Amino acid sequence: MDTVFKGEHLLPGHIGQFFLVLAFGAALLSFISYFFATTDDAGKPASSWQTLGRIGYYLNAISVLGIGACLFYIIYNHYFEYHYVWAYTSKTLPVQYIISAFWNGQEGGFMLWIFWQALIGLVLIWKAGNWERPVMTVVALSQAVLASMVLGINFLGIHLGSSPFLLLRDFMSEAPIFKNPEYLNFIKDGQGMVPSLQNYWMVIHPPTLFLGFAAMVTPFAYAVAGLWQKKYKEWIQPALPHALFACMILGTGVVMGSFWAYESLNFGGFWAWDPVENASIFPWITMVAAVHVLIVFKNTGHSYFTATFLVLISFVLVWYSSFLNRSGILGETSVHSFTDLGMFWQLVTGILVFLVMSVWLLVSRWKALPITKKDEETYSREFWMFVGAVFLGLSCFHLIVVTSIPVWNAMFGLKIAPPADKARLLHYNIIQSCFVFVIVILTAFTQFLKYKKTDVTRFFITTLVYLVFAALIAALITYATGLYKLNYVFVLLMWGSVYSVIANGKILADAFKGKFKLAGSAVAHIGFGLLLIGALISAGTSTVISINNTGESYSADFAKTENPRENILVYRNEPQKMGDYTVTYLGDSLALPDHFYKVNYRKVDANGKVDEDFTLLPKVQVNKGALASSPDTRHYLLHDLYTHITMTNSASTAEEKGNGADGDQPADDSKEYDAPVPHEISIGDTIPFREGYMVLRKLDKAAKLENIPMDNVLASVGAELDVVTHGQTYHAKPVFILQKDGHVFFFPKKLEEAGLKLEFTKIMPTKDKVEITVYQQPESAKKYIVMRAIKFPYINFFWAGSVIMVIGFLLSIFRRNKELKPEPAKVKAK
Amino acid sequence: MKKSSIFGLVVIAIAIAVIISVYSNTSTYGSFTEARQTESELHVVGKLNKQKVLYYDATKDANYFSFYMQDDKGSECKVVFTGTKPEDFEKSEQIVLTGKMIGNEFHASNILMKCPSKYTQNKLETQEFKAKPASI
Repeated sequence: MDTVFKGEHLLPGHIGQFFLVLAFGAALLSFISYFFATTDDAGKPASSWQTLGRIGYYLNAISVLGIGACLFYIIYNHYFEYHYVWAYTSKTLPVQYIISAFWNGQEGGFMLWIFWQALIGLVLIWKAGNWERPVMTVVALSQAVLASMVLGINFLGIHLGSSPFLLLRDFMSEAPIFKNPEYLNFIKDGQGMVPSLQNYWMVIHPPTLFLGFAAMVTPFAYAVAGLWQKKYKEWIQPALPHALFACMILGTGVVMGSFWAYESLNFGGFWAWDPVENASIFPWITMVAAVHVLIVFKNTGHSYFTATFLVLISFVLVWYSSFLNRSGILGETSVHSFTDLGMFWQLVTGILVFLVMSVWLLVSRWKALPITKKDEETYSREFWMFVGAVFLGLSCFHLIVVTSIPVWNAMFGLKIAPPADKARLLHYNIIQSCFVFVIVILTAFTQFLKYKKTDVTRFFITTLVYLVFAALIAALITYATGLYKLNYVFVLLMWGSVYSVIANGKILADAFKGKFKLAGSAVAHIGFGLLLIGALISAGTSTVISINNTGESYSADFAKTENPRENILVYRNEPQKMGDYTVTYLGDSLALPDHFYKVNYRKVDANGKVDEDFTLLPKVQVNKGALASSPDTRHYLLHDLYTHITMTNSASTAEEKGNGADGDQPADDSKEYDAPVPHEISIGDTIPFREGYMVLRKLDKAAKLENIPMDNVLASVGAELDVVTHGQTYHAKPVFILQKDGHVFFFPKKLEEAGLKLEFTKIMPTKDKVEITVYQQPESAKKYIVMRAIKFPYINFFWAGSVIMVIGFLLSIFRRNKELKPEPAKVKAK
Repeated sequence: MKKSSIFGLVVIAIAIAVIISVYSNTSTYGSFTEARQTESELHVVGKLNKQKVLYYDATKDANYFSFYMQDDKGSECKVVFTGTKPEDFEKSEQIVLTGKMIGNEFHASNILMKCPSKYTQNKLETQEFKAKPASI
């Protein structure tokens, strides 16, 4: 390694690396100081350990900003000697995506998480009061563990973390190019961001998701602090708003991802039970369950263990889900191609740190935990909320068991595959629907129960009334949407969801009459119910409208055994019937790297009147020879029409063709056409061809051509032709030139849209005729797209439900936060 | 017996039921030979035979793609996929098929392929293709 490399900018990398180490060291210092502030200085109002802990944390926060600044600097200046810059950006990357290039790689994802956690820690230092020392001990530990993931240094022979400041030549040290000291002269540009990530969702989805993950640390830290400091009951109240906040943000992040997948990736839906999707909702489900039992404990003193356990496990699951996503273990089962950075065991250690801590605290404090021996009343709200939380836990348990199949294989040397494709969806949908059915029913009737004891007769009557009413509405919806054709479980779930919406609607109405405290939960539950209704109808009854049974069958069996094919071939400018619509591929527009296809939809009603007429622009992105397609969707209030290109012959060739194809270049393009057919015609005559006809209108005796000197020309005649094909009329004017020296030139005219090339090849004054030679593209050379169109009914319920649920969480945060304020007085009163 | 104990038993029963149902729904990794002997869908891991013809012609049938794959045990089989040809299929290094044998052809409902990454030569990236979109 004696080579001196030229042109590298090593300074920002060195500074960045320095900050990385500093961030780790400072977090560790903060952790140790806060630990002693909690143990040694317990009870002392002033603690030098605490001051040191704060300093450590501030230093960590500053380092995190420093890392961010250095990373931004190398990305903004296109220093491709850094692997991160080279792998994820390029010189042509638009400025707004330079921000998202930050978190394009895994190291950036960790950085984002560290950044949010640093902010959360600062807020806690400011706000947590008495809780600061123990809570910050946990947050600082988590910060140190996270920082170790991006260290990228060798420590006692163990490689710790993966640094965003890794040099390209160190990353691929084997490659011969890096033997050359001037290698940077050969690396002109980076690999660029994958086009499908160049999307505004990429700018907002990861930060939201990581804020959600980061926010999970606060309730966890409170729970650990409570057990550690033996303040078993006191931690619950301040942790509650933080738990709600984590649920709200993580939920929003997940739904954003789902919307992104639906809007601009070609998943063909909003949820696919992909392992990565599943992993991101584990902690959400358990934290939602935790929120419910925390409230139960706060109000009645029941369910202490469940509440604590769920809070603790949620954070462990955050780590488990990063392990699944980043260790490469999901390799064969997931579309999300997260590659292994060689941090398998470090990630496992990450999980273990927090898992062991949780288990040890629960076991060692077991006897002192305020667990009630008394049974809950059957007709009490706390009992059914507890049941609901347990069912949420079971639903999460199921997801974990299936998603972790590769983990079980690795652990026990098994070789089982996840449920195969069709079975997989059915498996997830049916089992999860069973759990969710129980949960939605509980979200409704539990609202009518009171804590401790309820008037049973009245409760049963109201519940029955609402259930019957919900059954009527659900029956209507099921019939109207065709949901009844599916498994009965989905019909049951529809009933439960409708019931939940109605019952919680009643609670909301009461809330407006004065019991405003209950509004948050009512709104969140209504949102959840609507979300389920939307998901059930749109996923359950979505229909592919691009059904295509016209393909040549390769064997009779094939057509019989397979369902209708879902991709339809549309030639340019040839209207094609598709369901109720007539679709036409009108043409393309190019804004590299995006290649848009104009796909026109027309719907004509019985009287021949045009009912609908719109053009969608699904796109294909060309990136290093590979194509990635994104759908375009026509949104209606009650359904969406989704269109995406699965195959095309016009994208890859379009760029090369566009350059010199316009007539003035006599390159040999005869291979693109069928054998030429000459026609002798007079003015007013018609030439038929496969897809239409053309008429010779007149001859232009003084046709002029650009770029052709006219001084040597004896005669220049243009044939003005009207070409009619597929209801469109085009004008073409091929030119025939006779030079003074007797040479003859033809200047053909190409009609790309009609797939024609026309040549004016002969003038026969004696017969008063001219010869037009027609070159026609064979079927296969014509431009076409293969597309798939899907109708998603009532999908807006899904999105609206998500938004309403988030609003519900927000209302609850306000309420629980308000309850916090008089806390010191209350504690004294007890 | 206390109500919570009964509830606890119910929960344990459901948990066991979940595990059994997951296990019974799991598929298996197998070879083409094993696929011939079973009716159910399974996963086959293998490599594309690049010498033999890859057939896809959208103008003839936009939903028919066929190729030859060699499984891990070395036996070869014609594979038919009802859909469009995945981009860069020729460059794939490893393929995981989900599907079943019909006659002498393996009908894949899902193709998961690993390509040499566009970014680095020493990383693999995974892509998945489905014959049908996600639905209940």
